[in-house]
Amino acid sequence: MAATGTETEDLLRQLAPQVLGALVRRYGHFDTSEDAVQEALLAAATQWPAEGVPGNPRGWLITVASRRLTDLLRAEQARQRREEAAARQLVPSQWLAPAADAGTAEGDDTLILLFLCCHPSLSPASQIALTLRAVGGLTTPEIARAFLVPDDTMTRRITRAKQAVKDSGVPFALPAAAERGQRQAAVLHVLYLIFNEGYAATSGPGLVRPDLSAEAIRLTRIVHRLLPQDGEVTGLLALMLLTEARRPARAGPGGEPVPMAEQDRSLWDANLIGEGVRLITGALRRRTPGPYQLQAAIAAVHDEAATAEATDWPQILALYELLLRVSESPVVALNHAVAVAMVRGPDAGLGLLARLEPDQRMAASHRFHAVRAHLLEMSGDREAARSAYLEAASRASASLPHQRYLHAQAARLTG
Amino acid sequence: MKYMILMYGSQQDYDALAGKPGEGQQAWSPADFAALGAFMESFTKELVESGELVETRGLTAPAHTRRIQLQNGLPVVTDGPYPESEEVLAGYWIVECDSFDRATQIAARLAETPGPEHVRARAKADVRPIAESRDELEA
Repeated sequence: MAATGTETEDLLRQLAPQVLGALVRRYGHFDTSEDAVQEALLAAATQWPAEGVPGNPRGWLITVASRRLTDLLRAEQARQRREEAAARQLVPSQWLAPAADAGTAEGDDTLILLFLCCHPSLSPASQIALTLRAVGGLTTPEIARAFLVPDDTMTRRITRAKQAVKDSGVPFALPAAAERGQRQAAVLHVLYLIFNEGYAATSGPGLVRPDLSAEAIRLTRIVHRLLPQDGEVTGLLALMLLTEARRPARAGPGGEPVPMAEQDRSLWDANLIGEGVRLITGALRRRTPGPYQLQAAIAAVHDEAATAEATDWPQILALYELLLRVSESPVVALNHAVAVAMVRGPDAGLGLLARLEPDQRMAASHRFHAVRAHLLEMSGDREAARSAYLEAASRASASLPHQRYLHAQAARLTG
Repeated sequence: MKYMILMYGSQQDYDALAGKPGEGQQAWSPADFAALGAFMESFTKELVESGELVETRGLTAPAHTRRIQLQNGLPVVTDGPYPESEEVLAGYWIVECDSFDRATQIAARLAETPGPEHVRARAKADVRPIAESRDELEA
């Protein structure tokens, strides 16, 4: 059966982590196996649309990748023998101890790969790049384009990341129970960063970038399928869906941001909201709240309000107060101040901001000044609001649409 | 009594089997390969039917080998320790039969293994009795 390019691509992206998992489990060599799998994926991407998808596509990919791996290993081993820099390494201590989770099912391969790609020895940028390639099945040029860096830079980043994973000597197994929680938090954080990277780029040159938000949602769905009982995984998926639902309304025709209160809510995606609300409601019932569940719950309250005026601010405020106890993020502190202003009036919100101002991260962020401007305007102090908007605009250096928006807000208050 | 029949091959032989021509070596043709498969199938089938086969396995290419050895008293692992042309264990049969002679007779059948002449010229198989117990090993 002939397949279209898109069908093939979807199938390949789905099979990529399974094939890599099978190869690393059987032969080891995370770094070289990853190269071999990429070559097999490439071969499939060119052959399948023309010649049809084989009866057992996963088996086909494993066979082709295994053959390629053998070739790559031989070249590597021959070189090492020549250089006498023998391929010898100390047996990693983890190999000498009994496996932490002996006998993991093959279905866990994708999860194990995620843990490997988000290994603490890697920088966040490397974790993201490696996750997108090894688990997401994206090619290096695609990832480079998504992050607006040259192909060479991304190739080096991924090569170094793979080398670091290999050198760390971690066995192909789930992390030991003692470090499982921390390692899983790192995986969720990387998925959330990927989502935000995509969400932040909805306009201008962003249009040609691969859809990282969709990719983050796809990967998080896989993790959710593997760990359906985990409240934070469910919370993260719900948060992504409830945020993604507002995407069609969040930018105006010129790419300028539209604040939530002014968004056309008929543009929000009701299906995504429905799914997100169902997920977060189910997760919260299990009473193991965490930062992602709380953020999803807040997003759900926003998404369920038919109009901005109908927003249940007291509930949002209560949720932010819970969130503040588990999160030190400046963004959470700012959003909390807004919720306080909405419930107890702008002066209460401004009082909170005054206490946040000494924090270096705050004073440097355009968001802090934009929130302050908004609250000052609410309180009727138009002149102070105007200068706060201008202050915000001067710090929003990274984004032209944001600068334009903030200048427009300031201009609106002139005279 | 149990015997192990061992078959050998180098990485280059594995390549030839996969259809890759090596230096001064012809690759196997699809017909050669089909003949080999048919022969191995019937060889093993006969052993199953005579009730003499205990187990048979083939090993993947020698490139996929990890060697563990001590270096300064610490265990080190080497990937792919064999030179390309070194003949190493490629597969084995464990048979249970009445005598060493019968096991040798079985192994001798392997001389009929079809293949390109240069491969047949180098081919060999070993037969070794399996120790049934520690006592036998120490005897």
